Amino acid sequence: MSLTGRLLTVLFLLSLPLQVLGWDWQTKVTVVVQHQSLQTVCELLEKNYGIHFSYSRDLVNLSRKVTVTVHNQRLKTVLEDLFAPDNIKFTRVGDLLVLLPDNRTTRTINGYVKDAATGERLPGATIWSPTLKQGTVTNQYGFFSFTTTKDTSSVVVSFIGYQPQWQQFPQNDRTIEISLESTTHLKEVVVSGTEGNNLQNQTQMSKVNISSAAVNKTPRLLGDADLIRTLQAIPGVSGGMDGVSGLHVRGGSPDQNLILLDGSPIFNFSHFFGIFSLINPDVVKSTDLYKGAFPARFGGRLSSVVDITLKDGDMKNYHGDAAIGLISTKFDLEGPIIKDKTSFIVSARRSYPDLVYNSLIRLEDDEKNEADLSAYFYDINAKVNHIFSPKDRLYLSFYTGEDKMNLHLDSTSIPDTAKINMISSGFDVSWGNTIGALRWNHIYGPRLFSNISLNYSTYSFSTQIGYKYILPAANELIDQVGTYRSRMEIAGVRADFDYRPSPDHGVRFGTAVNIHDFKPSMSTFADKTGSVTPLDTMANGPQNTAAEMLLYIEDEWQLTPSFFVNVGIHASGFLVSGKLYHSLQPRLGLRYMLPKNWAFKAAYTQMNQYIHLLSNYGTSLPTDIWVPATDRVAPMSSRQVALGIAKTSNRQVYEFTLEGYYKNMHNMIELRDPMGFITPDLLRWEDQVSVGRGWSYGGEVMVAKKKGNTTGWIGYTLSWSTRRFADINGGKIFPYKYDHRHDVEVVFNQVLSKNWDFSASWRFTTGSPMTLPVASYEGIETGSPWDPVSGPGNSIDRYGNRYNYRTENSHRLDIGINWTKQRPKWSRTWNFSVINVYNHKNPFYYYVKRDDEAKQRYLSKVVILPILPSVTYSVKF
Amino acid sequence: MKKLVFFIYAFALVILWCSCEKRVNIEIAYDGDKLVMNTFIQPDSLIYVRVTRSVPVSVYDETAFKEEAGAQVNIAASDGSVLPVVLQTIAGRRFFVSGMPAKAGLQYNISAASSGLQAVSAYDTLPAAPQARDGSAQKSSTRIKFILKDHPGTGNYYRLRVFTVENNAAKSALLFRLDPAFNNNLIDIIANGNSTSLIMDDSRFDGRELTFVLQTQDPINQSDSLMVEVTALTHNAWSYLRTVALQQGNSGVIVSEPIRVFSNVLNGYGIVAGINTKQLVFKVD
Repeated sequence: MSLTGRLLTVLFLLSLPLQVLGWDWQTKVTVVVQHQSLQTVCELLEKNYGIHFSYSRDLVNLSRKVTVTVHNQRLKTVLEDLFAPDNIKFTRVGDLLVLLPDNRTTRTINGYVKDAATGERLPGATIWSPTLKQGTVTNQYGFFSFTTTKDTSSVVVSFIGYQPQWQQFPQNDRTIEISLESTTHLKEVVVSGTEGNNLQNQTQMSKVNISSAAVNKTPRLLGDADLIRTLQAIPGVSGGMDGVSGLHVRGGSPDQNLILLDGSPIFNFSHFFGIFSLINPDVVKSTDLYKGAFPARFGGRLSSVVDITLKDGDMKNYHGDAAIGLISTKFDLEGPIIKDKTSFIVSARRSYPDLVYNSLIRLEDDEKNEADLSAYFYDINAKVNHIFSPKDRLYLSFYTGEDKMNLHLDSTSIPDTAKINMISSGFDVSWGNTIGALRWNHIYGPRLFSNISLNYSTYSFSTQIGYKYILPAANELIDQVGTYRSRMEIAGVRADFDYRPSPDHGVRFGTAVNIHDFKPSMSTFADKTGSVTPLDTMANGPQNTAAEMLLYIEDEWQLTPSFFVNVGIHASGFLVSGKLYHSLQPRLGLRYMLPKNWAFKAAYTQMNQYIHLLSNYGTSLPTDIWVPATDRVAPMSSRQVALGIAKTSNRQVYEFTLEGYYKNMHNMIELRDPMGFITPDLLRWEDQVSVGRGWSYGGEVMVAKKKGNTTGWIGYTLSWSTRRFADINGGKIFPYKYDHRHDVEVVFNQVLSKNWDFSASWRFTTGSPMTLPVASYEGIETGSPWDPVSGPGNSIDRYGNRYNYRTENSHRLDIGINWTKQRPKWSRTWNFSVINVYNHKNPFYYYVKRDDEAKQRYLSKVVILPILPSVTYSVKF
Repeated sequence: MKKLVFFIYAFALVILWCSCEKRVNIEIAYDGDKLVMNTFIQPDSLIYVRVTRSVPVSVYDETAFKEEAGAQVNIAASDGSVLPVVLQTIAGRRFFVSGMPAKAGLQYNISAASSGLQAVSAYDTLPAAPQARDGSAQKSSTRIKFILKDHPGTGNYYRLRVFTVENNAAKSALLFRLDPAFNNNLIDIIANGNSTSLIMDDSRFDGRELTFVLQTQDPINQSDSLMVEVTALTHNAWSYLRTVALQQGNSGVIVSEPIRVFSNVLNGYGIVAGINTKQLVFKVD
């Protein structure tokens, strides 16, 4: 280049007034140079902004030629971009900007991994350096920070269901976004060997990730895919009664599961008395189930964490789904509000048995009065997120869902003057959750990421009953209305930080404060026609407000090339009724690499739970009531030890895990006597429960095929779970209600052709404990045989030890087949599913039947899930 | 199209709700024969002790409860006295009847033994008489009122029953419930159910005098007079009657834990408990 040309290429633009009076890192600078030395750039900055550089020419080489075109950018950002390739670091000393050689041997790359088509961020994606055998995984917000050797220039980035790709690192350590292309968008599935996702490279054990695709592939009950039903097919997870979406993890009860929806806890995760999960699976991005080895960031429940991450919404294009099935219909829509900046997703679902019921069959009472029946559930999800800058992103999410049943009857008959005549009656019952969350993701630097969130979650149950009767002969009108409500709320703020100081450490720390508000069992009565003041017209359960605080820190630490630990501590306190409960819960995970790429893993966790669930039936019901720990009923706690080995095959086709665990649980509660579905007087609930201990132990094995046209898994669980309460069963140990000795699950998915795919699942469970009477005897009603109404006493059944029998073994085969027709801009799918293909009569419950025809008493079982076909039609655009 | 939708839906619903029931061939084990001893002890009344034998659960016929007429029954009071006992047949059923009435303020210890069976024993005290008064009802109405004054400070337990009265004798029990506005139990409204007795404790009205309102299932037309029977119960009697009602209400369904009927009889089954009954007989207005 000629001298003239060189001179002409030196342009200097000053858009802001000269800042000769001072500068700081935020000073906006404009520099435009072409093929000039760094020293020239420094001189320009000194001349125009008064920034005086100080350095030793022997240590710092500024001869490299650069081309720079920046307008109104932060000084610090410009300097980082200028000096990073030459490993020059800079610092301010007084008014001098001192340049020094950077002797670091490492570099830190950070950023996000996202779906190339939608911009959806991908949690759990792997960034892996095959040559160094080092890597990291994106956190639940899709963020990663990877500190590696200075000369590392590229890595492999991979995620299940996406095409792995080599990613070149930029020369400077700035925040980058890596886009992966979904394999479902490719004609050919390419399986590439990366090791990052391998189980042997994760210290975390007892964790299973369920993708949205896995949920949607499973056979459907009444046309609805279901998240919890899919989780039930994981070893170590039991579903309870046949057909119910219960979740009993490693011998724990349903109240011991922490279910998080985008970080907000959910208190009741089912619709329709436990038949369906709370959430439309189409809006779920991924689900992590932790059965043990809980990281320090989780707390508050004893037995499991189900961490559900919802989709963020497509940043580039509008698309959605709509489906209609036998029991419900649903749709979801997502897309950009501002392309690549702001997106939304909204979904809604409603069941409609009542609509069909009312149109096809009318309910009549004895007087032939027709009733209006309404019975349905609905749920609505909405989420908006906005990218403010590469380092800042805001999410606002909302969920509400409810089950409602109403029955209203108006009399049309002419009153009988000699009888009580109904004028009208009404019954309304509803229950549901409402959840809201505001989250802010921020990157402070290459090594530090934060998620600050405000969360709110409430669960409420409400019922109202009223009736009007008239007794013409006495001119008596009975007009009564009663209501019963129960509500549990939690609101809190939480800050989580992800800090990667070096390749050997991955530190997470954080804090949270939650306010719990318990309003159980509030009832009111109004007798509009009564002349006598009743006992009282309102009764309330024990209302409490509690504050929960927590702090945690955990470090993923590589001690030696083959030995890794995850060490952490979770400290929490719970302030209720003037009393502070607190606990320090250590968490430890170990991983040692064995020959042939097998990993030996071990974990120890302590967990505390400050709230109890008053439940009669060992499975979640809408009427269940949460109560806080008290002086007499302390918080629950557990300790769990787990050992296991794990390996993912070389091409990530097969996964193998074998784990054993032992867990003990303290301060569990059990009702001495059933309280009834609705109990207005809960003020003395502590008198009605027994406090005791529980133990569970066992082993789980799972072999999964993750790639190819045939996928699925085979799981087996051998387990024991027992309880002991001083006032129950004579203080002797008895099995947990859902203690199953053997569980086998087989899940199979097969792509048959371009349009057809097939799925099947088979599960076998040995019998659950049940209690049967051991004798019958005569009862008594009155003190004297001369009393007004006296006769033979009732026949009474005598029960001995709790759970003296076991139910029959259960097994069931479910199948589903999808036919999909792809159009240029949309696709349509027919799903045909059959639950319980061979119609095995699995017991829902048993009872001792008095058969008046056969004049016999015998054990009878009730089956609610016979062979059950369904069809669903859905379109995707 | 509507017919098609109807067909699909009806088919699915029929399958879903055709939950079937099937006999299970599990032999329910029997814990062996045990003595069953039952009595409610009323102050100033003779003590009637019924002694029978337990049967396997599979036995359908309730009359199969075999009376142990040859049993040895002893009734001892806490003042050291032992009451004579004689076997009597009343209305076709055999009772061991004390030779003198029970006295308030005493504890009674009753034991029974029969050949080939383990001897049983149980004891209880007697409750104070309930302070009930002023029963009233209107003809063709469904409401019966009376006043009950609860003893303060102690846990008191009651049973209420209502009878029609003819020729100065109680004739038949009426189905009724406590007016829902009075027991605040929404399940009573929901179930809209009535029974011949109501078992309750005084947790909602400890030490208070209040007017109870009972609601009969049918208008009161049958009788000129009614009787409200208010029975004070010991904790043992209350526990027994309450759990019997719960077990019967549970109808043998064991989706939940089965209800265990309270028994204070050592080495056997049954109940020995004190009661104190007051009968309010009044004319229907």
